[in-house]
Amino acid sequence: MKVWIEAHVPDFLRRKSVMIVGLLIIWFALGRIFKGIHTLDLGNSQDTPTTEVLGQFAANIRAARAENPIFVYVFNPFRQGIESFIEAIRSVISEPASGALIPFIGWLGVLALIGLIVFSTSNWRSSLLSMTLIFGCGVLGMWQYSMDTLALTLGSVVLSLTIALPIGIWAGLNDRVMKMIRPMLDLAQILPTLVYLAPLALVFLIGVAASTIATMIYSIPIGIRITAHAIRSLQNGPIEAAESMGSTRWQKLTKVQLPMAKRTIILGVNQTTLAALSFVVIAALIGAPGLGEPVIQALSIRNIGDGVTAGLAVVLIAVMLDRSTTAAVTHSNQLPLTGGELLFRRISVAVAALATLIAIIVSRQQLWAAIFPESLNFRDPIGGAVDTFTEWFTSTFYFLTTSFNEVFTLNILNPIEYLLADAPWYLTIIMISLIAAIVGGRAVALLSAVLLLLIVWIGLWNDTMITLTQVLIATAVVMIIGVVLGVMAGRNAKFERLLKPLLDAGQTLPAFVYLVPVLALFGPTRFAAIVCGVFYASPVVVRVVADGVRGVPKEMVEAAIASGSSTTQVVTKVQLPASKKSLLLGANQGLIFVLAVVVIGGLVGAGGLGYLVLQGASKPELQGKGLAAGLAIVLLGIVMDRIAHASAKRS
Amino acid sequence: MRRNLTRRMAALPLVAVAGLVLAGCGESVNEATTETATSEEAVVTEEETVTEEAVAEVAECGDWGVAMHGWVGYTASAQVITEVAKNALGCTIEQTQLEEAAVTYDAMEAGSVDVVIEDWGGGRWQEWVDRGAVQEVGTNGNVGLIGMYVPQWMADENPDITDGTKLNDYVDLFKTPETGDKGAWYEGPPGYTTIGEKMIDAYDLDYQVVSTGSEAALIELFTQATDNKTAALGYFYDPQNFLAQVALARVNFPANDWSSTEEASGLTDYPESPLMKLGTTELMESGSPFVTLLTNFSWTNADQNGVAADIEGGMTPEEAAQKWIDANTDTVNAWLAGTGASVG
Amino acid sequence: MTTAEEPSSPITDSAISVRNLWKVFGPASDAIVGTPLADLSRTELLEETGCVAAVNDVSFDVADGEVFVVMGLSGSGKSTLVRCLTRLIEPTSGQVFIEGEDVLAASKSRLRELRRTKFSMVFQHFGLLPHRSVIDNIAFSLEVNGVKKDKRHARANEVIELVGLSGYADHFPEQLSGGMQQRVGLARALAVNPEVMFLDEPFSALDPLIRRDMQNEIVRLHNDLNKTMVFITHDLAEAMRIGDRIAIMRDGAMVQVGTPTELVLNPADDYVADFTNDIPKSHVLRVSDISSPLKDQTISHARPVEHDAIVRTVMHRIMSDPDPISIIQNGQVIGCVGREELLTVFAEDVNEELKA
Repeated sequence: MKVWIEAHVPDFLRRKSVMIVGLLIIWFALGRIFKGIHTLDLGNSQDTPTTEVLGQFAANIRAARAENPIFVYVFNPFRQGIESFIEAIRSVISEPASGALIPFIGWLGVLALIGLIVFSTSNWRSSLLSMTLIFGCGVLGMWQYSMDTLALTLGSVVLSLTIALPIGIWAGLNDRVMKMIRPMLDLAQILPTLVYLAPLALVFLIGVAASTIATMIYSIPIGIRITAHAIRSLQNGPIEAAESMGSTRWQKLTKVQLPMAKRTIILGVNQTTLAALSFVVIAALIGAPGLGEPVIQALSIRNIGDGVTAGLAVVLIAVMLDRSTTAAVTHSNQLPLTGGELLFRRISVAVAALATLIAIIVSRQQLWAAIFPESLNFRDPIGGAVDTFTEWFTSTFYFLTTSFNEVFTLNILNPIEYLLADAPWYLTIIMISLIAAIVGGRAVALLSAVLLLLIVWIGLWNDTMITLTQVLIATAVVMIIGVVLGVMAGRNAKFERLLKPLLDAGQTLPAFVYLVPVLALFGPTRFAAIVCGVFYASPVVVRVVADGVRGVPKEMVEAAIASGSSTTQVVTKVQLPASKKSLLLGANQGLIFVLAVVVIGGLVGAGGLGYLVLQGASKPELQGKGLAAGLAIVLLGIVMDRIAHASAKRS
Repeated sequence: MRRNLTRRMAALPLVAVAGLVLAGCGESVNEATTETATSEEAVVTEEETVTEEAVAEVAECGDWGVAMHGWVGYTASAQVITEVAKNALGCTIEQTQLEEAAVTYDAMEAGSVDVVIEDWGGGRWQEWVDRGAVQEVGTNGNVGLIGMYVPQWMADENPDITDGTKLNDYVDLFKTPETGDKGAWYEGPPGYTTIGEKMIDAYDLDYQVVSTGSEAALIELFTQATDNKTAALGYFYDPQNFLAQVALARVNFPANDWSSTEEASGLTDYPESPLMKLGTTELMESGSPFVTLLTNFSWTNADQNGVAADIEGGMTPEEAAQKWIDANTDTVNAWLAGTGASVG
Repeated sequence: MTTAEEPSSPITDSAISVRNLWKVFGPASDAIVGTPLADLSRTELLEETGCVAAVNDVSFDVADGEVFVVMGLSGSGKSTLVRCLTRLIEPTSGQVFIEGEDVLAASKSRLRELRRTKFSMVFQHFGLLPHRSVIDNIAFSLEVNGVKKDKRHARANEVIELVGLSGYADHFPEQLSGGMQQRVGLARALAVNPEVMFLDEPFSALDPLIRRDMQNEIVRLHNDLNKTMVFITHDLAEAMRIGDRIAIMRDGAMVQVGTPTELVLNPADDYVADFTNDIPKSHVLRVSDISSPLKDQTISHARPVEHDAIVRTVMHRIMSDPDPISIIQNGQVIGCVGREELLTVFAEDVNEELKA
């Protein structure tokens, strides 16, 4: 066969891009002819045999919750243990005890305590910044919500790290352990957050404990990954030296490997913390107290002001956590102090500790220091301003946003959705597998076909294709933005400095928070979900592309300029081709990020799998379908990830 | 030197804990309010002093959680009972924002919340009742009616558009990019009771269900439709104060004869349903005076819409609830009968 | 001392005695030594089995207080060899005796004890702990051996003096230059007062000028402390300067072992000759190597030269005297050397250079 092709098919037809374009044309033509046949369209409340089985399974689990020994002796005590741990933290900083007016510490005390912790792990500048940012949460009128979010985040991080650090260290030291957990870590990276919620709620019900456990499951793999990497990437020299001096394994670990890996491990703490924060906000869907609550509420009663204000508070907390942990990394990187400097440092920490103690005592006794003063609370004016602005924006640009939405939907969204969802399912599977074969090879094509068939078997084919349409379009837009901004940032340091705060904010802001303003602009449409996905995924892609462009060897660029290339030629003929790997990596990241958000888009009318997950969460009779939708999301994620991965590898 | 440094770091948490203990020894704002109401503390909140007098004769209430749902009418009911429980009975109430139905019942089973003040679903909680986690506490006095609505201007221009069986005549008006050559049928959020697909099926309507995902989306939809005179056919319900702000017309289908979505044939319309209160077994068997309050709580659609209007008009839920309580002390005292507490 | 004879059993009273040492990397590495496969060349072995014999049947002895240099190009197996001696890499087979103790038979805990007290190692890239100060780096091996802080710091300070690091005790490695860092590495190796020191290309990462300094430092330390040293290098000049004896390795096997002079004068094969040809004989030969026996010639006794002086270092003295001058050993005149002998050596050097 191969020989035959080589002998008879002209060269240009064997080029990948030509083959893909050809396939698309054939696909489009066939799709037109067979439009509407065998689309496996399913009503929102209709079940399939698989979803019924899952529904029964879910019902059995629910029925077992009261008496089954696994629940009575394992799950329930575990849940209650986690709950008491988190509630203990909450009772200190956020939740007043029964009959009390304030938690154990009033706002001033909390502020001082945060300042002290940051100061003792880094420097006064970061400490001041952290206190300012947290103070900002109070100014936004979100003190109590912010404290709940902070308590839940910190509690989850502590619990996550107690699991992630030992496992990460073990996996760092032992190849076999790493090999065993790697597939799980890989899977965890592509799982959209929404998928965790329903199965966990089934076992751990709804509330603080379930939210914490879900958050842990989300953040633990990140902690493990970075810790293992930290241990693995150490230079061998000092370790071998320690061994040659007769260290025991334990001495080697505690005196050499851990101290040397400390910096990267703290970076892992940073990443774990930010992941936990973003998840805690979404976990409001399963009863997590905190800033996610006003966001959900804003979604349901259309209170854009409060939703955006809460979103701002999330950003403040995210920046605070990010900056303070990053500062701790830098600090741990510095040489230890000696002599007079050390003495000065000790005295200043002691003074700060004393000041904190005083602040805590005052915050328990003086009303102004106990409850965040009403006079500093600008929630109403800020929320009002946001509302007014949105009102003005939507009424002024209503014509623009809706018509843009309409043009986009009619000319791009609908045709692609017809192709994927309104064609016979087997045609779509064959075409996707063929494309996978061209870009990624036979193994990936086979895997894609099998996983897609599994989705057909589950019975949610049509909804999966609706979701896939949105993911593909959003990813394409993200890639365009990513390449344009990424190339500009990669070529121009000044532009990058300008862009950096925006990227930082974009990456720290939980996707959940976008939903409210986007809904106001674009109404309950698939387009709204796509816009959310684009917002969320662009920063990371811009970063990856910029890194890639910057990584192109200078000589290569200089050689191109020296041979008289124009700027456009340098970009298109040298910098982009040379950073192809980064582009594909960016596309892969983009896909995964977009998938996570498009699924949440079920909350703003995107339909598809995300909607089914949400519907399953609140309607017990459709819970099986919700679980099945979660499963389909996972399968879809794996298919996209593997295809992108394989094509990146092939290049 | 380095070692000393790390040791000092290790000592930090210890110092912090010691500090907290030390701080705990001091008298706090918490104790001050319950022991002596000095002039300074009195500023805290007026209710706080009310509490002191009321609590004297009333049995210990305890800590309870109230589920909060995403529509403003619910917020009105929940906030009123919260304020009465806190201020008259001395309860500690934590409100938690949750999706309705299963999510909330699971939260009740987990002990995260204890009360649902307004539940629209006929018996969908049965499984949790069977497991002994949840109990029905009777109706709350409101009567709910779900339906499909169009903006009033459409009904004015096309009088028989409100006859559900004739919707196919107007399908051109409702076509959108989302639905192609079919009309858009904007369905309620995921948790809400919906039978749109069955209705479309049963009447052979040329419409396609669009899942809105949230109530905000529906409100947005009708607001835009009214302001810009665009067409919209969407899910809505009464009591909901929004109906007082934006004129909508209900699209009616033949009579109502069912109570759960599963037995709905689609040939019928949504029925009127009395809205239910639910409580956890833990609460109901606690002997707390809050149980009495919850059991007796009942008010009208007009009451709810009044409070909801105040909230939407810019009052905080607390203020709006307190305003209604102050104006209806007799009703509230009737709820409190037997607890020994009262307001006003 | 030549390569020809290999004693069949280890000599337990020499500082180090190695017999038939093998290290094979790759699948089924155990199934090669002792089979016909062991006789294959490196490429053949790789093709047949997928294995590489990094150390190939090596045997040698090192006397107490000797500096034994192992010289070879990268990939010749010299670094693997030195690691096999202390079992940082487990050898595949063979025997290693250090100070009379069978190292390969030592239990894990005994091996740790040996490493903590008997031998120590200096690494090419220093292997210093970046998070520890100079003094704590140097005291590390004492620390892992459970020596109390006061005692180990006292000892560390002694070694700091010894290697010329006074005043740098509280610095951190990254604050020091490469040469200074390697001084820390040396001090660390000396801290436990070991009987044998292994130095794995200790100066390869340093600038040439500093490298020269450090080589002198090693010579000085060796003169002062008289430690047995196994010194790995890829630089023949360094090997010549430092080594009492030099072993040349190629493809895991030892090609030749001998004193610098032996290597230069009698290279065992072309491979060794290729190396030594570049070395001017005058830089290696000692005056005793070119001396003429005492006959009845006129000898200038005014300024005698020591028998082990390198020819180059005394050429000026020889040239300035019209008569041959006397060579002394232990105060006894054992021969003489004059312009003629000197010119013979130079002529050979110039010839080599012209060939190149």
